[in-house]
Amino acid sequence: MDATPLMKINRNNLEGKVKDMAKSKEELLQQLSDCVFEMEDENAADAAKEYIDAGYEALDGVLKGLVDGMNRAGQMYEEEEYFVTDLLVCSDAMYNGLEVLRPHLPLDQDADAVNYKCVIGVVEGDTHDIGKNLVRIMLETAGFEMYDLGRDVSLISFVEKAKEVDAQLICLSTLMTTTMPGMKEVVEMLEKEGLKDKVKVMIGGGPISQAYCDQINADGYAVNAIGAVTLAKELVGMA
Amino acid sequence: MRTIALPRQNIKFTYDTDIKDSLLNILIAQQIFIESPCGGRSSCGKCKIKHLGGDLPPLSVDEEKRLTQKEIEEGIRLACLIYPNTDLEIDIIDQEENHPVLTGGYVPEYQRNPAIWKKPIEITKPTLTDQTPYEVLFEKALDISHLPWDVLRQISMGEGTYTGVFNQDQLIGLEKGDTSELLYGVAVDIGTTTVVTSLINLKTGEEIDSEAAINAQKNFGQDVLTRITYVLDHGKKGRNQLQTAIVDSLNEMIQTMCERQKLSSSLIYEVAIAANCTMMHMVLGVDPLSIGKSPYAPIFVEEKDISAKEIGLTALSSFGRVYCLPAVSSYIGADIVAGAYVAKLHDRKDKVLFIDIGTNGEIVLSNGGKLVSCSCAAGPALEGMNISSGMRAADGAIEEVHFHTEKGFILKVIGDKTPVGLCGSGILAAIRELLKHNFITVRGNIVKPEDLEGGDPRLSYIDLDGKKRRICIGEGPTKILITQGDVRQVQLAKSAILSGFVALVNAMDLTFADLDEVIVAGQFGAHLPVESLVGTGILPKAVKDRITYIGNSSKTGAYLALMSLESRQEMATLAKAFDYLELSVTKGYERLFVECSQFN
Repeated sequence: MDATPLMKINRNNLEGKVKDMAKSKEELLQQLSDCVFEMEDENAADAAKEYIDAGYEALDGVLKGLVDGMNRAGQMYEEEEYFVTDLLVCSDAMYNGLEVLRPHLPLDQDADAVNYKCVIGVVEGDTHDIGKNLVRIMLETAGFEMYDLGRDVSLISFVEKAKEVDAQLICLSTLMTTTMPGMKEVVEMLEKEGLKDKVKVMIGGGPISQAYCDQINADGYAVNAIGAVTLAKELVGMA
Repeated sequence: MRTIALPRQNIKFTYDTDIKDSLLNILIAQQIFIESPCGGRSSCGKCKIKHLGGDLPPLSVDEEKRLTQKEIEEGIRLACLIYPNTDLEIDIIDQEENHPVLTGGYVPEYQRNPAIWKKPIEITKPTLTDQTPYEVLFEKALDISHLPWDVLRQISMGEGTYTGVFNQDQLIGLEKGDTSELLYGVAVDIGTTTVVTSLINLKTGEEIDSEAAINAQKNFGQDVLTRITYVLDHGKKGRNQLQTAIVDSLNEMIQTMCERQKLSSSLIYEVAIAANCTMMHMVLGVDPLSIGKSPYAPIFVEEKDISAKEIGLTALSSFGRVYCLPAVSSYIGADIVAGAYVAKLHDRKDKVLFIDIGTNGEIVLSNGGKLVSCSCAAGPALEGMNISSGMRAADGAIEEVHFHTEKGFILKVIGDKTPVGLCGSGILAAIRELLKHNFITVRGNIVKPEDLEGGDPRLSYIDLDGKKRRICIGEGPTKILITQGDVRQVQLAKSAILSGFVALVNAMDLTFADLDEVIVAGQFGAHLPVESLVGTGILPKAVKDRITYIGNSSKTGAYLALMSLESRQEMATLAKAFDYLELSVTKGYERLFVECSQFN
């Protein structure tokens, strides 16, 4: 289980240097975006390499290329044109491209940059994690620094991890009605620690509803991974 | 002169030791027939008897050769090779081959040897000179060392004819008169959705009647997890409510069959139950909570043989029993053990895949008798739930669909009524046709009208709801539409089942081509034609010509548990031989799930 963020991006440094090349930067970015959107997971790495070899900014490649493609895919998912599994293939393509671009990303962090951190996992007693993975991917795409604790996660771990990394958001997922009460416990733990206002709790999964969210006093419920992005941004006040 | 006794058949006769004949011939002379295909030439090894008491000559070389070690340990001998000369007590093992077929499925051959049996006795009145207590008279006549207290209280004892009712070697009841011909049992399959009971004549193995009903626990939740959550929320009270719901149903169903057959329910002595693990916990009133959470460990899996009264089952003899078949784990219940046993997976030398399709799909792969199983959360879509036009398989439900380029959609509706919606088999048939005629792409998308040329026959069936595309397959009181969401529901179920299928085949290092047979089990599976199973990609096309159906093998397993102690023993052994593959933690499962979501 990977609990370190896959993508650490300084969003305040988007300026790219324009160079004259045979294939324009816009064309190459489009190509990157399309690789993700069209589910061409096998071509994404090559497209990323072509982009870097052309000498363009890695950061633009990520945000205006790969992430753009993922956002377009998310839009299609919302319109029922893409299926859950399609999004998973898109994300494979995105990560393949990211692997190539990552070593070229600027390391310096802007002191003023706000890093939105989010702890995510499937609550204790449940091992179904496809939905959670999708939310992690979409939030990561949206620029969150994700700490994925995996599945069947002991409830206290969510609170401890959030404290450790100073996260603003905890995302809890479950597919089973039997493990839903764990979500309530996490909310209560945060209340006890006096962190309830500082750390927002977002919940989701097959049997979850807005009513349940209200009942356990969680901060929000999203019906799917795309809704989760909008809600997460709203909860942490991300522009 | 010496005697030979067959206590279970209540037969005792004398024989002349001077004749020096084989036991087989001595029995035949008494009109007691046991299977002997080779005619007593000691070459077939079929004339098995069980040695219960008295002296027998040591095991002959032929017997050692023809009997298994297990049989020898159990006292099995071959009647044609024994030349007795003392008092003997034996049991014959029925091996009839042609048992009546239970409706609703295939029944394998079995050794008829029910746990419940009867023995009629005669009690003569004690005299003033011999004041032997009745207790002792009954013990002697029944050939038992101790008359249990609860049996002693059951009836007023006196002279006359009585019948002892035994559960294996335990006396469980006494009845006035000779009732030895009247012996009934009930085989039960408790599914999450449906409950099926069969009234069985334990003397003949015949299924006399059967009754099916919706599981009354549905009021507490549609699926297993919701019902477990109900117990989680309501504690002991919730557990009692769920137990009462199912036990009351069973009482009613048994009563209904008895009334129809004009049979007193007091002549039913045993109810054998096969069910999934959660249902078994619930019918016995055992806490099911641990089943619903990782690591998914149930409270119990072993077989249970208990008093029916203890769980409130009253529509049978007051001393009746409940036998629960053994399970493997939370997700491989007694229903699957029963199915695997009925399909004889443990005996197969080839490669066979057994699949029970329902809300949870359970799959067992036998690779030459080595068993590995998995469970996939298919969700209720395949049973017509969570589908916009979905309904139960009742009048007005579309159960089959065909698309014809000129005639359009041809519907087969249950009860020949106006179509109202689609039941499980109907939704699968519809998706199958939509795929076949390219209304839906391999990725599960409904085609866009703008991508079709003018005059394309598909155009007239695509119905637009804003940007969303739906397919209209017929019209009843309202349009019957297949939405993109419906396709996705089926796609999820199909991905779940197919990925489990592939994961098991991979785990055994096999390919589809290696499979010799794919057995589809379950009430629901029986209604899904091969074309739909393969056409929607629930099962791979490569196994199309190797798919067979076994019916409600869970109930058949319960039937076998009623009729044969040997089958019980074998099922208990089988349950311990299963390996289990937990898909959600299998490496690469997510990727496999993605691959299996394609309709190709």
